[in-house]
Amino acid sequence: MKRFLSSMIDGRGFDIGLVSLPLAFLLALSGLPLLYNIAMSFQEVDMFSLGSFWRPFVGFKNYRDLFAQPETWPILANTATFVVASIAGQFLVGFSLALFFWTNFPGASWLRGLFLVSWVMPGLVVGAIWNWILSGDFGVLNFILREAGLIDGNIFWRSDPAFSLWAVIIANVWLGTSFNMILLSVGLSAIPRDLYEASELDGANVWQRFWTITLPMMRSSIGAIIALGLIFTLQQFDLFAAITSGGPNNASNVTQYWAWDLSFRQYDFAKGATISVIMIVFVMIASVVYVRSTRHEVRG
Amino acid sequence: MAIRGSAILGALALAGVSLFGLSAKAEDVTINVWSLDRDIQPAPNLISDFNKLNMGIKVEYRQIQFDDVVSEAMRAYSTGQAPDIIAVDNPEHALFSSRGAFLDLTDMIAKSTVVKTSNYFPGPLASTMWDGKNYGLPKATNTIALYYNKDMFKAKGLDPEKPPQTWDELVDAARKLTDPAANVYGLAFSAKANEEGTFQFLPWAQMAGGGYEHINSEGAVKALDTWKTIITEKLASPDTLTRGQWDSTGTFNSGNAAMAISGPWELDRMVNEAKFDWGVALLPVPEVGAERSSAMGDFNWAIFSNTEHPAEAFKVLEYFASQDDRMFKDFGQLPARSDIAIPETGVPLKDAALKVFIEQLKFAKPRGPHPEWPKISKAIQDAIQAALTGQMTSKDALDQAAEKIKAVLG
Repeated sequence: MKRFLSSMIDGRGFDIGLVSLPLAFLLALSGLPLLYNIAMSFQEVDMFSLGSFWRPFVGFKNYRDLFAQPETWPILANTATFVVASIAGQFLVGFSLALFFWTNFPGASWLRGLFLVSWVMPGLVVGAIWNWILSGDFGVLNFILREAGLIDGNIFWRSDPAFSLWAVIIANVWLGTSFNMILLSVGLSAIPRDLYEASELDGANVWQRFWTITLPMMRSSIGAIIALGLIFTLQQFDLFAAITSGGPNNASNVTQYWAWDLSFRQYDFAKGATISVIMIVFVMIASVVYVRSTRHEVRG
Repeated sequence: MAIRGSAILGALALAGVSLFGLSAKAEDVTINVWSLDRDIQPAPNLISDFNKLNMGIKVEYRQIQFDDVVSEAMRAYSTGQAPDIIAVDNPEHALFSSRGAFLDLTDMIAKSTVVKTSNYFPGPLASTMWDGKNYGLPKATNTIALYYNKDMFKAKGLDPEKPPQTWDELVDAARKLTDPAANVYGLAFSAKANEEGTFQFLPWAQMAGGGYEHINSEGAVKALDTWKTIITEKLASPDTLTRGQWDSTGTFNSGNAAMAISGPWELDRMVNEAKFDWGVALLPVPEVGAERSSAMGDFNWAIFSNTEHPAEAFKVLEYFASQDDRMFKDFGQLPARSDIAIPETGVPLKDAALKVFIEQLKFAKPRGPHPEWPKISKAIQDAIQAALTGQMTSKDALDQAAEKIKAVLG
């Protein structure tokens, strides 16, 4: 014991002390709510038992009930579509922009900075603006598409079940593009220029340089941005609230919005918690990808 | 008038006592009130007036946000921190009374010289009842009716003094008034996937003999079919499915819809914005002579059952009720009472509209009351949207809703 105490000043005990502080912090602020949420998904919770922890235990009933609901599978499928399409859109547009600004024309860094404006805007504001842009009768997007001769009649982006999920995806791609662009720009600028000079001397063309140098050197950046993208898109709530409210008839409903609706509009807290648990699994996968891709970076 | 008179007498008597230095500040009972009213709305103003009367009761006010009312109140109640008095949205009243969270006021109201249940419109009063007992008092009320653009009626050869009376007449008028070239829809309403959608649809079902307990009745199916006709023929914007009432009526004000179904909360905006002659008619019924029905909105007052001062809290509610005749004049809200005449505003269009709304209020029915209302409402919203988007027939959609509601009702 005495040895341990004296090692507090210099040695193992000090290290343990340093690590346990943030660990305790993490456990209190993230771990306990997480466990509480998981516990709640196995309990019968109603609004008046919210305040107490000891509630009737119902096993997997909440999970069974949830998957018996007709809207569950469509909503899970919507979530998958939303996540994949949003990440793909954000990444492709973000990467193209990052490459574009990498060419370093006059004013490039200044313009790149301007793109950050979208990242700074609160989701609800972005949602309200896209709500107008996507409006069926008087929306700007329809006007542009009509003038360009791409469509004959108006598309009711928010109210047509075939489009409503895509309406939110378009807004979300716009919202996340600049973040992707900035992170990928950082990754690009970390690639040593002499690699390109050497390959150019060896006669590699633009595509060959992109496939053999840029992409492999960007591996960790891309892994991180996709993992973060998964987390950010699974968090995206404001745009749904502002643009479609999950409608029409759940056509644009996703798990994160549904969890909120169940908990705070229908007061079915147990089911809301159950969906959150399902989502946690997906976020765990994203975290593993993220940690693995950044671990590579640290060794770098 | 009798109510107001006795309240003033009581107030004078108490004021007299305090003049003689008998008001004992130290013994003041504190009553906490929560509501969502802002500084220009009733609650904070009535409370500051009440505090000036020095009745030995000090009322403290806290404003809460609309979205937080229920969750905040539930958390406060379950941890013993609830206020004495709260204002809740009327479809959520039963949630609390059925679980014993609200105080049973039946006896106090029976003995009260200020509050008489017979003075209230039946709809708002019913929303405060559970199991035949009174668990609160209506705070204010509102309902929906049909706004129509008289200039457009004239332009399309319709009689502006004869607004549509039945569903068929409404659809016919909408067909005549719809003018895609001029960006004009015949009708604007809301079928949004939230409480607003239920609020707008339920009256239609009720007029045709349906209701939330039998949402798949023949009449309700016919009601939904009528809505479907309106949407599929583009007599109303397809965005009706995602737009709330405020935004939908906005298209009426700007001349992009010839008729709109909405409530009296639009009147001031319409007086300012609408550059045309308009009128208000009662909601059209399925056929001439059919039973009328309408939606009913706004909040109720209630006392939490764990209050330490039920008698004093009830006195505060009595004071609020005694001031109901100021509701419209000072705050632009409709009192939930049939014994109070709404004073003229001096704006002819508005005064004529208010008469219709007061008439419509007689037929206003509460949503529920049922403790699980949000789930019932969600089932109805999903059915409306499934039918209107053509994913299901009205009958199938309402059958599915009835199934879900049956599970909730148990």
